[in-house]
Amino acid sequence: MPDGPAIEIEDLRKRYRGLEALEGISLRVEQGEFFGLLGPNGAGKSTTLGILTGLVRRDSGRADVLGLDVEKHYRTVRRYIGLATQEFNFDRFLPIEDLLTYQGGYFGLSRSRARGRARELLDLFGLTEKRRETIRSLSGGMKRRLLIAKALVHEPPIIILDEPTAGVDVELRHMLWSMLEDLNRKGTTVLLTTHYIEEAEALCKRVSIIDHGRIVTTGSPAELIARETAGTIEITLDGPLTSVPPELASFGPEIDGARLSLQVREPSRRLGEALAVLQRNGQLIHDVRMREANLEDVFIHLTGHPIEGRDGQS
Amino acid sequence: MANPELTTPPLRRGYDPTGLLAHYRRECHRFFRLWRQTLFPPVLTATLYILVFGKSLGSQIREVDGFPYIQYIFPGLLIMGVINNAYANVATSLYVARTELFIQDLLTSPLSYFEMVLAYIGGSVTRGLTVAMMTAVVGFLLTGTLPAHPFLFLITIFCVALLFASLGTIAALWATSWDNVNMFVHFIITPLTFLGGVFYSINMLPEPFRTASQFNPIFYVINAVRYSILGKSDVSYGLAMALLAPLAFAGFAFCVHLFRIGYRIQS
Repeated sequence: MPDGPAIEIEDLRKRYRGLEALEGISLRVEQGEFFGLLGPNGAGKSTTLGILTGLVRRDSGRADVLGLDVEKHYRTVRRYIGLATQEFNFDRFLPIEDLLTYQGGYFGLSRSRARGRARELLDLFGLTEKRRETIRSLSGGMKRRLLIAKALVHEPPIIILDEPTAGVDVELRHMLWSMLEDLNRKGTTVLLTTHYIEEAEALCKRVSIIDHGRIVTTGSPAELIARETAGTIEITLDGPLTSVPPELASFGPEIDGARLSLQVREPSRRLGEALAVLQRNGQLIHDVRMREANLEDVFIHLTGHPIEGRDGQS
Repeated sequence: MANPELTTPPLRRGYDPTGLLAHYRRECHRFFRLWRQTLFPPVLTATLYILVFGKSLGSQIREVDGFPYIQYIFPGLLIMGVINNAYANVATSLYVARTELFIQDLLTSPLSYFEMVLAYIGGSVTRGLTVAMMTAVVGFLLTGTLPAHPFLFLITIFCVALLFASLGTIAALWATSWDNVNMFVHFIITPLTFLGGVFYSINMLPEPFRTASQFNPIFYVINAVRYSILGKSDVSYGLAMALLAPLAFAGFAFCVHLFRIGYRIQS
């Protein structure tokens, strides 16, 4: 397999009838990485994946997979990628085993090898009992698993998943997460889009936050939280506080009667320092609460709105 | 670090037709699986036409161009089945794949756009040829007709199926509803087929209908097939094929172009 980044995008632009879906995004995903594109519906995540996989034509910019341009070398590039789309896109007249077998054939697997691989995946995803049935007899969770199985038929070195856990229950979500982590441990590069903060934090080594067709920031979840937002330390004192000790001025203090709120990066590391200052100033501490920042805070800090419900969706 | 063992099947040296054949098989599997809806009806329709128009009404009609009426209409009946089935196969399959989004499986696969079209149209042509062969057997049993020029018969049927499969592909890409898909059949193909001389020779028509018929492309299709089966037709076989064959291949090339530019299949 070629060296270099698994995916490299530079100044990628796409416009749909006057609507700027991508306004020049750039990102780089290394081989073997677990990378997330985090953003609300309509942010440009699916368009980006569509350009990489051949479902959307870019207007301008560069999009390479393993060093090859996705349009110029589309046949080779598509062999390297397995795609699980957000929508269910199945032929509802075919038994699911045949569906996976044909999918394997598209990627160059012989009939017997494709059939064998289909059975292996149906077993892995707990769908063996349904193998001769069509999609109509599958539950939503089963269809979601089948979508991912379809992406894995040809054992691609890169898998791209568009909202892989949208609409699934917690149990299945955790099962899919562990499956994706396992694949990644074995060397598969994973690029997923999600608007679930918890998913991005739990799975992704690095995340790009995307909003209104622009990459707002990129980094590991911990880095982004430390770099972009503060957590909260909330201290309740024995009596009302009239003034804040000057040593705590840099903690972004806010007083509300006996309650003192401090906004700091990495609050767990700064807690001891804050308590020591208060004790030195003769304050008796009644209660302490602490909330670490999360990616949601990063998102709100950088975009000015929460990730979910921006346009009334999700 | 990426695991070097985790690679998709390597590209074979030279041309690898596995993907093309997989989709072609899928297309054929679809209509063979649904044979009651796809293969049986056109043969039954041709049989009924032969029985009604040939055996009963035909006995009241004098010979046409030296052939009993039942034999004269048989090539037209056969090609009607080919036209409708070659068109319908890809029109249905591709339209459903488009609207139910599973065409994405094909579009994200390593097949070239040429191969995608070849597999779709190949399936349609296969269905057209299958219907032709089945109808030919029925025609032989009921009318005793065998193709006078078997090789020309095959070439002609192939070109007709290719032309109408290409038209079906264009319709499936363009259509925004089932009505659009069927519109081609109801308002273009069926009227032109009936007016193209399935049931009569244009020598039987008065002017200006005789001249007008020569502007109907299906007139040439029917006459090319009639020549290959009966050895006689209203226009020369060479002229009919000189129009039909380039049109069929141009239609195919246009379909490849539409896939290549992503017409209504990519955004």
